[in-house]
Amino acid sequence: MSKERKLFLIVAAVLIVGSFLITTQMENRFYYKAAYVVLQYVVLATAWNILGGYTGYVNFGTAAFFAMGAYTAVALIKTWKPPLYVLLVTGGLVSGLLGLGIGYLTLRLKGVFFSIATLALAVVLQMIISNWSYVGGGAGTAILKPRSVPLFSNYDEFLFFVMAALAVVSVAVAWLIEKSWIGRGMAAIRDNEEAAECMGVPILKLKLFATTVSGALMGIAGAPFSYFVVYIEPTSAFHLDYAVNSLAMPMIGGTTTWLGPLVGAVLVGTAQQIATVTLSSEMNLLIVGSLLVGFVVFAPDGLVGLFGKIRARLAGREA
Amino acid sequence: MGRIIRHVILGFALLLAVSIAFTPAAHAAKEVKIGFSMALTGPLGPAGKAALLAMQIWRDDVNAKGGLLGRKVKLVYYDDQTKPANVPGIYAKLLDVDKVDFIVSGYGTNLIVPALPIAMERGMVFMGLFGLDANAKFKYNNYFQIMPAGPDPIVDWSRGFFELAAKQKPRPKTIALLSADAEFARNAVAGARRNAKKFGFKIVYDKRYPFPGTTDFTPILRAVKAANPDLFYVGSYPGGSVGIVKAAHEIKLEPKLFGGGMVGLQYTAIQMNLGKLLNGITDYWFWAPEKTLKFPGIEAFLAKYQKEAPKQKLDPLGYYLPPFAYAYVQLLGNAIEATKSFDQAKVGAYIRNNTHSTVVGDVKFGKNGEWATSRTFQVQLQNIESNKMSEFSKAGKMVVVYPEEFKSGNFIYPYAKGK
Repeated sequence: MSKERKLFLIVAAVLIVGSFLITTQMENRFYYKAAYVVLQYVVLATAWNILGGYTGYVNFGTAAFFAMGAYTAVALIKTWKPPLYVLLVTGGLVSGLLGLGIGYLTLRLKGVFFSIATLALAVVLQMIISNWSYVGGGAGTAILKPRSVPLFSNYDEFLFFVMAALAVVSVAVAWLIEKSWIGRGMAAIRDNEEAAECMGVPILKLKLFATTVSGALMGIAGAPFSYFVVYIEPTSAFHLDYAVNSLAMPMIGGTTTWLGPLVGAVLVGTAQQIATVTLSSEMNLLIVGSLLVGFVVFAPDGLVGLFGKIRARLAGREA
Repeated sequence: MGRIIRHVILGFALLLAVSIAFTPAAHAAKEVKIGFSMALTGPLGPAGKAALLAMQIWRDDVNAKGGLLGRKVKLVYYDDQTKPANVPGIYAKLLDVDKVDFIVSGYGTNLIVPALPIAMERGMVFMGLFGLDANAKFKYNNYFQIMPAGPDPIVDWSRGFFELAAKQKPRPKTIALLSADAEFARNAVAGARRNAKKFGFKIVYDKRYPFPGTTDFTPILRAVKAANPDLFYVGSYPGGSVGIVKAAHEIKLEPKLFGGGMVGLQYTAIQMNLGKLLNGITDYWFWAPEKTLKFPGIEAFLAKYQKEAPKQKLDPLGYYLPPFAYAYVQLLGNAIEATKSFDQAKVGAYIRNNTHSTVVGDVKFGKNGEWATSRTFQVQLQNIESNKMSEFSKAGKMVVVYPEEFKSGNFIYPYAKGK
C-alpha cells in the first residue's frame, strides 16, 4: 500500500471515530440535524461527481436514485423493519441496479441527451411511486423511527454518525477510483470518448461502472431519509433540490478531483443551513444560483481549480 | 497530501466559527417564546404568510393585555419553504438553540408530521395547524389539531356532503370521484369512497389526475360526463379547483350535487376569479361571514387582519386559514393562563380535558388530538352576481347548508338550479 493511500485511510478512520466521539460529547440536536443534511450532500455530490465530474456525463436525475434508496427503505420498513444497515445495503443495491440499467439504456446518448434521459427517469419514477400505495403513494406515509439505539443516546445522533461514516466512505471510494486506472480511463472518456475507445479504454464497462457506483452511493444516501424526515412523500423525496445541489456543489468545489465535491458540499450545504435559520429562505436558492453562475463564469474548474491556479501563479512569481 | 488535509481542517474550523457567529444570543428570560416553522415560501407560502399574520395579531393582542402570566409573548419562527426535510432541523434549532418555551406546528400535514416525533421526545404540547390525521401513527396525547375535521378526519371530512345527498328526493343513486394525486386530495376522496359505500351510492367513475402538472381538465370532465353521475365529489388543490369549475361550465357538466373537497374555493382571489361560476357548488368550508358563525372575537380579529393583509398582499378577507391560525395559539395561551403554569404536562392535560372558547367557536379535542366531533361545514355558493371582492364579504353568498346546527340558508337542489 502506498504511503498516500495509508495516510488517506488513517484520516478516514480518524474522521469516523471522531464523529462517534462527537456524539458522546455534544447534546445539541440542531447541529446533528444540520450536519446530517450537509453530510448527505457530501455523499450525493461525491456520487454525482463520479459520473458527472470524472466521466463527463451530467446526471440530472440525482433525485431519482436518492428517492429509490429512500423508498426501498420504506418498503422494507413496512414489511419487516430491518436494522438500518440492511436498509443501506438494499437501498444501495436497488439504486446501483437502477444506475446499471440506465447506463445500458442510455449508452448511445451523449451530452445533453443523456442529461434529458436522467431527468425523465426522475419524472417517471416519481409517477410510479405516487401510484404505489404500499409505500404511501402520492399521499405519503409516516415512518416511526426506532425509539433507541445501542451506544447512542438518541436516534438523531446515530443518524448523524451513520451519515458521517457514509460521507467518509463515499469520498474514499471517489478517491480510490480517481487514483486508479479506472479514474484515468474515466478521465479519458470525459476528454474524448472516441479517442479513448481507439486507445483501448473499455468505455462501455467504465461508463456502466460509473453509473452503477454513482447510483448506488446516491441510493445509500437516500436509505436513512425516511427515518430523518419521519414523513415521506414523493414530492419531497424527488425534490429538484437534490438534482440542483448535487450538481452545483461539485461545480463550485471543482469536478475533476475527489476534493471538489467535498469542499462544494460542505461550503454550500453549510451556507444553506445557516441561511434557513437566519436569512429569508429565498436566499437559499439565490446563494446556490449566484455561486453557480459565478463559478461557471469566473472559475470553471471550481474552488479547487481556482486555488491550484493561484498557487501556480504564486509559485511562478517566486521562481 | 498533508497540506490538503490541513486546508480541509482549516475549512471546517472556519465554518464552525461562522455558524457560531450566526447563533443568536440568548434573549431576555422574561419572554415566553413560542417557536414554529411556517411555509413562507414554496407552494404553501401565501397561505403560510397569512397564518403568520394571524399569529402576530394574537401576539399583539396578548401583549397588549400584559402577556401570558405577566411575560410578553415572542414568536420565534423560520421558513420551512414548504419542504418537510427542513422541518426536523428547524424544530431542533428552536428547542436546543433558541430554547423556546412552547412549540406549535407549521401549516399542513406534510409539515406537521416531521415535527411530531420531536415534540413527543421532549414531552411538549404540540398544537397542529390544518393536519389531516397527522397523529394516526404516533398517538401522542399532547398533540392538538385545530382544523375541525373531526375524530375520524378522513371520513368525517365528506360526511356532510353525503348526508345532504342522501336526504334529497328522489334519492341520488350514482357518484363520480375525482382526485388530485397528492396527500390531502387522495385522503379526502378515500373518505368519500367509504362514505359512498356506507350511504349506498354506486361509484361510476373513480380516477386520479397527475398533480402537479394537470392544466386542462376538459378531457377528464368529459369522461365524468360520459359516466353520467348524480353526484360528483372532487378532491383538488387551488389551481385544479379553478380548472375543474371552468371546464365543468365549458362542457355543461351538471351533476345534481357538485363539489366536496375542492381546496381554493374558499380563497378570496379564486372567488373573485370564478365569480358567478361558483353558484350552486357545494364544498367543505370552515368559516364564512354568516349570522350563525359569529363566534366571540372573530369579527375583531378579522377587522385587524383585513386592515393589514392588503399591505402584505395576502388573502384580503382571510376567512379560511387565518382564524384557525389565531385560534390555535389563542387556545394555547388560554390554557397557560388557566393553569397558571408553563408546565407542558399541566397545559397539555388542561387542553385535553376541557372545552375551549376561541374565535372559531368552542373547541373540544378527542383522543387522537383531532376535534372530538366534526364541524366541517358544507357551504353552498349562492346568489353570486359579480367578481367583486365585496360580493364575498356579505352574508348569504356562502350559505351554510350542513350541519343543521349552523345552517344559515336553504339548500338548492339540484346543482343546475343553483347555477
